Amino acid sequence: MKKLCYFLYIALLPLTAFQLPERQQPPERNLRLVFHHQLGKELLETGKTVRNILGDSISIEKFKYYISNIILTNAAGKQVKLPAQYFLVDENEPASKIISLSIPDILISRIGFLLGVDSTRNVSGVQTGALDPMKGMFWTWNSGYIMAKLEGTAEALLTPGHRFTYHVGGFRMGMNTARYIELSLPPTNGSVQEIHITADINQWFKSASEINIAQTPVCHSPGGLAMKLADNYQTMFAIHSIR
Amino acid sequence: MKITKHNWILLLIVFTGISWIVADNRYFKPKPVAFKVPKGWPQPVYDFSKNPLTEEGIALGKKLFYDGRLSKDGNFSCGSCHQQFGAFNTYDHSLSHGYNNSLTTRNAPGLFNQAWQKEFMWDGGINHLDLQPLAPITAENEMAETITNVIAKLKADKEYRKLFKAAFGDETINTQRLGKAISQFVLQLVSSNSKYDRVKRGEASFILPEKLGYEIFQQKCVSCHTEPMFTDYSYRNTGLTLDPALKDQGRMRITNNPKDSLKFKVPSLRNVAVTFPFGHDGRFFSLMNVFEHYRKNMVVSSTTDSLLARKLALSNYEIGQLTAFLFTLTDSSFLKDPRFAPPGTGTNTNPPADIHQ
Repeated sequence: MKKLCYFLYIALLPLTAFQLPERQQPPERNLRLVFHHQLGKELLETGKTVRNILGDSISIEKFKYYISNIILTNAAGKQVKLPAQYFLVDENEPASKIISLSIPDILISRIGFLLGVDSTRNVSGVQTGALDPMKGMFWTWNSGYIMAKLEGTAEALLTPGHRFTYHVGGFRMGMNTARYIELSLPPTNGSVQEIHITADINQWFKSASEINIAQTPVCHSPGGLAMKLADNYQTMFAIHSIR
Repeated sequence: MKITKHNWILLLIVFTGISWIVADNRYFKPKPVAFKVPKGWPQPVYDFSKNPLTEEGIALGKKLFYDGRLSKDGNFSCGSCHQQFGAFNTYDHSLSHGYNNSLTTRNAPGLFNQAWQKEFMWDGGINHLDLQPLAPITAENEMAETITNVIAKLKADKEYRKLFKAAFGDETINTQRLGKAISQFVLQLVSSNSKYDRVKRGEASFILPEKLGYEIFQQKCVSCHTEPMFTDYSYRNTGLTLDPALKDQGRMRITNNPKDSLKFKVPSLRNVAVTFPFGHDGRFFSLMNVFEHYRKNMVVSSTTDSLLARKLALSNYEIGQLTAFLFTLTDSSFLKDPRFAPPGTGTNTNPPADIHQ
């Protein structure tokens, strides 16, 4: 019996030899980005009729957008670009509103990110994970990601079901709707564990330009309206608090 | 039985060998397939390093290509609109039939030599071959299905789980693998054995009308229908009028640039004898219709191609010789290649005798 055990041990040894341990990166720490969706000062509640900044009576059903290309900057201006990761933040998926990141241990004074998907990923075939076309954030007839979606109803609209649907996308030159956003953190001496960011939907309707729902209730392709909406949503983020 | 020292060592070697094979997984890897570039052709643009061809991948792609379950009601496979006897166009149909008695927006082009093509569809809206199947699958007037449903149907099928594992190493079924597998099959569709190709290789020679037609072709057609692919993959306005029902602006739909109004991709003329009807909406039912368009009927507008600013002068004699030449572009071995035939149909790739409209 002892011999048999000995024999089994030797026979199984090669199996373990092929399971090399993965190399560990230098020590990192966690950072959580927490997104709070709002309409003005009010926390967004889907299905609830509210007035937007232009006074239109609206109800939001879907609100989602991609976050990628995250860059952290310290007080001295040193930048750390995080590895390529893509997150789909979705109002209807509460877990998606908290992004957990593994970051090098630096004191963050500014955070930058892309709202959308960079052009490289728009031209590299079928992607997986958050970028899987199955997520419904991809145009199959005109290859490219929908960077952000805002859908809802407005009583005043004469569209089917009183619906407005803003699917904002386009990555080609002159039609690129991905927007880089940089936010400064309030000064702190401690190491930041959580950054709470608000996204104000009111900015979609009034920022660089005014978007009147009655005039333009639908955006489903790259182009002028998509660019206007993108210029508007570029300003929707603000730092809420840090922890 | 008494185990001798000799047997101990023998057993040890056998067990070590087995565990090595199991741990390394080398034994179960799919079999690579080389992609052959026909002599004298440019290098393909498809990046094979991202999707290496394998026997298992191609077999899976073929099954998917011919599987109606990729559509909403199970009736429409890729192969139902891309038929081998028509060089994978929809034979003798201006527009194809889709879900719930719908008609497609455009003519289904032949599928061949896709490895050399950078952009897909008549307007070039799709920028990668792996993405291409997602458009017909999700179009309401084609297969009318959602990607989520397609993936769910495939995941529920034991046979597919087995085939995905054989092709990709594990049972994961996702959109990316769906696209890659279909690409692997479609990339096999290389048409390079027409009489024209055999003449170029020195294995055959043109008869007189074909030779004269080739000379006329080189004077009048080749600047857009460039050899050896017989297209330069550009988008051009050839003086087609806007169809009031389809309202198809072509390339402008993608670029939003008014200069691209009514521009469509230059189609390859390979297998042109079997890919009728012609044009992005199949408005030309014969080569004669096309010649008449170029020499007489085309409408020159501000975005019409400069090469056609004064239309294209063609005599009846030239049309005759050109037709003879264009018929040499039919690759009959491609049209009958059993590797590409629908599963279970053997090698019968003749078009149906009873052709309906």
